[in-house]
Order: sequence, then C-alpha cells, then structure tokens
Amino acid sequence: MTQRLQLVFRRALRSLWENAYLNAVSAGVIAATTLLFGVYLSVQFNVNNMVDTWDKDVHLSAYFHPDVPEQRRFNVRDEIAAHPEVIKVRYVSSDAANLWMQARMPAMETVLAELGSDTLPASLEISLSAARANDIDAFAGTLSVTDFSDIDYGQEWIEKFQGFLSLLKLLGAVMGSLILIAALFLVMNTVHLVVYNRKNELEIQKLVGATDGYITAPFLVEGLIQGLLGAMFAFIGLAAVHRLLVARLKDTFELAITAELQFLPGPYIAMLFVAGSLLGVGAAFLAVNRFLAKVT
Amino acid sequence: MIRAYHVAKRYGDVHALRDVTVKLAKGEFCYVTGPSGAGKTTLLKMLYGSTQPTEGKLLVGGIDVARLSRRRLPYLRRNIGIVFQDFKLIDSRTVGENVGLALEVLGSSRDLINRRVSAVLNIVGLPGRGSDYPPTLSGGEQQRVAVARAIVNDPSILLADEPTGNLDGAMAIEVMEILRAINLRGTTVMVATHDTGLMNRFPYRKLRFEAGRLVES
Repeated sequence: MTQRLQLVFRRALRSLWENAYLNAVSAGVIAATTLLFGVYLSVQFNVNNMVDTWDKDVHLSAYFHPDVPEQRRFNVRDEIAAHPEVIKVRYVSSDAANLWMQARMPAMETVLAELGSDTLPASLEISLSAARANDIDAFAGTLSVTDFSDIDYGQEWIEKFQGFLSLLKLLGAVMGSLILIAALFLVMNTVHLVVYNRKNELEIQKLVGATDGYITAPFLVEGLIQGLLGAMFAFIGLAAVHRLLVARLKDTFELAITAELQFLPGPYIAMLFVAGSLLGVGAAFLAVNRFLAKVT
Repeated sequence: MIRAYHVAKRYGDVHALRDVTVKLAKGEFCYVTGPSGAGKTTLLKMLYGSTQPTEGKLLVGGIDVARLSRRRLPYLRRNIGIVFQDFKLIDSRTVGENVGLALEVLGSSRDLINRRVSAVLNIVGLPGRGSDYPPTLSGGEQQRVAVARAIVNDPSILLADEPTGNLDGAMAIEVMEILRAINLRGTTVMVATHDTGLMNRFPYRKLRFEAGRLVES
C-alpha cells in the first residue's frame, strides 16, 4: 500500500515538473478563484461581526428640547440612570456636540461656527443591557416627550440593513457558485491539456493493462497539490489585501465602521484550503475521466 | 488459447471482418497476413479488447472479449503482450522505465521490476541499455525494447502488428528471431505481416485474410 502511494506521488510530482507551465496556470486559476472566495468570506465575516456588534450595542440618543433647562436635563439623566436595564447614561451638551462635530468634520468648521454653538441639541447617550435589545421600542416609549424632541436608536435602520445583507449574501452565494463553476471548467480544461500532452503515454499505459484508477490517481494528487498551492497563494494574497487595503478603508470610513475589521479566523481559512483542494481534485477527476471515456 | 466463432466486425457499412472461425492452440506461432485493409489489424485489436466484434464469439484465454466489461479489460491485457509497428515507446522515459511499465501497473516491487527488466533486456539483446532514452536508439533497438516490454510480465499471448514494418531486412530478422525464441518458451505468438520473405524465412501457420474473409488457415 505504502509502495503504491509512493509510486502515485512520484508519478504526480514528475508530471507536475514535466508540465510545469500548465500546472502553474491551473494553480493560478485556483488561486484567483480562491482569493475571490476568500474576499467574499472576509466581507461576509466582517459585516456579520459588525451587525452583531450593533445588535449587542443597544444604544439610544435622546435629544432635548432646546427650552428644557440644564438642571432639568441633569435630573432626567439621573432618573434614567436609575432604571435597572440602563447600563450607562452620558450627558452631551450642545457645546460638546458641536466640538465633536468640528473635530470629526474639519471642513465644516466655518459653517458650524456661523450657525452658532447651539446648533446641535444637547442629548443623553443611553446604553441598555443587551437583554433589552428586543423591546427597545418600549423603553423609548417611557421617555418623556415633553423633555425630548427626538429619540434615535437606529433599530429600523439595522433591520433594513440586515435585510439588505441577506440579499447581499444570496447574491454573493449565487455569484460565488458561478465563479466556482467557471473556475472548475477552466481548471478542467487546463488539466485536459496536460492529459492530452501525455496522451501517448496514457494510451500505452492502457495497452499494458493499467486500470483507470492507476491512470487517474496521480492526476488527483496533482489536482490536490495545485489546489493547496492555489489556496496558499490566495491566503497570502488575502493577508496582503487585509493588511494594506482594509487598513486604509478602516481609516477612511472610521465614522461608519465601528466594529474592528478582522482577518478570517481558522475555520474560514480551512474552508479556503478545502475549496482550493476540491477545485483542483474535482477538475482533475472530470478531465481525466473525459479523456478515459474516449480511450479503449 | 484463442478461439473465434463466426466473428464479424462492421464499421458502419464497411465489413472489416466477416464470419471468421479459427482456433489457435497454446504455444502456437502464426502469421495473420493479407493485403492492406484485409482485416489483420482489426482481428488483433479485437484480441486485445481495443474493439469488440459486432457478431460471433471471440475467446482469448477462455475470456469472451465481446462480453468483457471496461473494468475487466486491463486484466485481460495483463496476460497479453502487444508489439506495434511504430513501437509505441514513451520518449521521455528511459528504456528501463518503458519496459518496467507493464510490471509497474501490476504493482510489482521496484526490486522485482529492476530484476525482470534486466533479464528481458538480456533476452532481446540490449543488456545495460536500461538508462538510455528511446530516441537515442535505432529503429531495430526500439522495436526490441517494445518486445521486451511486451514479454516482461510473462504473458501467455504475444500479439505483434507489423513488428518489422519499419525495420530494414537485418533488423527485421533480429526481431523475428526474438519472437521465435519467445514462442519456444511457450508463449502463443500471433504476428500480423504481409512480408512474404520473412514468412518464408520463418515458416509458421498462416491465417490469410482478403476483404475481411479468412481465405487460408
């Protein structure tokens, strides 16, 4: 058994070496496809993370009417802080809100200065325990309408975004499947070229009594090696993209993205290698069988 | 060893073989002869399972090749050595690797392969040439390598399709001498040829075909 495995690996490595260019093309196609798959997984993973964070971060912004006196605002803050489901309440004065906005959007500094320091209303930033996530509406209803002009907790937006995300996942799955199928055919045709390159040799093997399994096995090993190499290149590419591009995106969209952008965890990386391997082995299997069906 | 009963082969409307009935005993040597297109190669192809008869029954070592499944075909071929006019050697493999291929597919150990390859290269008169590559050999030497590959696993039948067709007179005689020696060791040998000079020099039974019919046996 060991001897047969050794023989299969020796024949596979020899073929890889003798058809280095075509095998490199196969590995390249697998790498490109796996990289796309990795990008898809990465986006999905991070967006899911982000939404999870939003879900856990049950947070309300309650904006005071401008005519509510400051002492009353502090009293209201203390009343709300006494609620058992409230984790934290922070009072943000109109001046503080203005300064925050100026710091975040320096280009708007002149406009904000002209509008005056009380342009933005004072507010309470309220954090609730995660257990209250589902009845945030009810909590918002307990807040006095005479004190607050507007209460914003973005739940509706999150729900809409989750709907959009589901659609995006579906589209991603469809596109991903199409890309994988296209790659499968592309790799299969490249392997077919390798097979035809060795047509004479394979026909001779058949004539001396080689079984289909004997002929197919080294191609499957070649496919596996191509797949693993392709996945490795995709992994390196993905790590590079994460390090360079994603870091910049994070800086650019700091306002919008609150969750920490993360690299794919172990199980996702394993999926990447499994996908590459399946692509390589599957394409090799289909290509060799297509050839063997024509040879007697 | 080989029995054909009313065997016929058609390719569309073309009759490659018609109503062939013949028997070949174990250890026999015979020629399959006739003009081009007479059906010589078709008969040999049927014997090693490359094509199947459209009619009749063809038994090779007791196996009906007409009913042989694709899965079982390799096991029939492991008992048949085949030599072709164009040698069918793998140029990128050494002589030793080419000859050893027939044992490699059987899963033989490296040690056994090396010993057998060395032995058959001696038989065909190419001792110590195992590490050469086929393109560096003459036509006669390449054909002898092909014969060595055909006999390395000690098959009970050796089929040779125009084995001397690409060789000059002296080389053709050398190859025929080897085939005769193999036959003397008990292997059934069937040689397709239309070289009458060779058949006269090495007189054996002749199966003469004309337009797909067996006209002399």
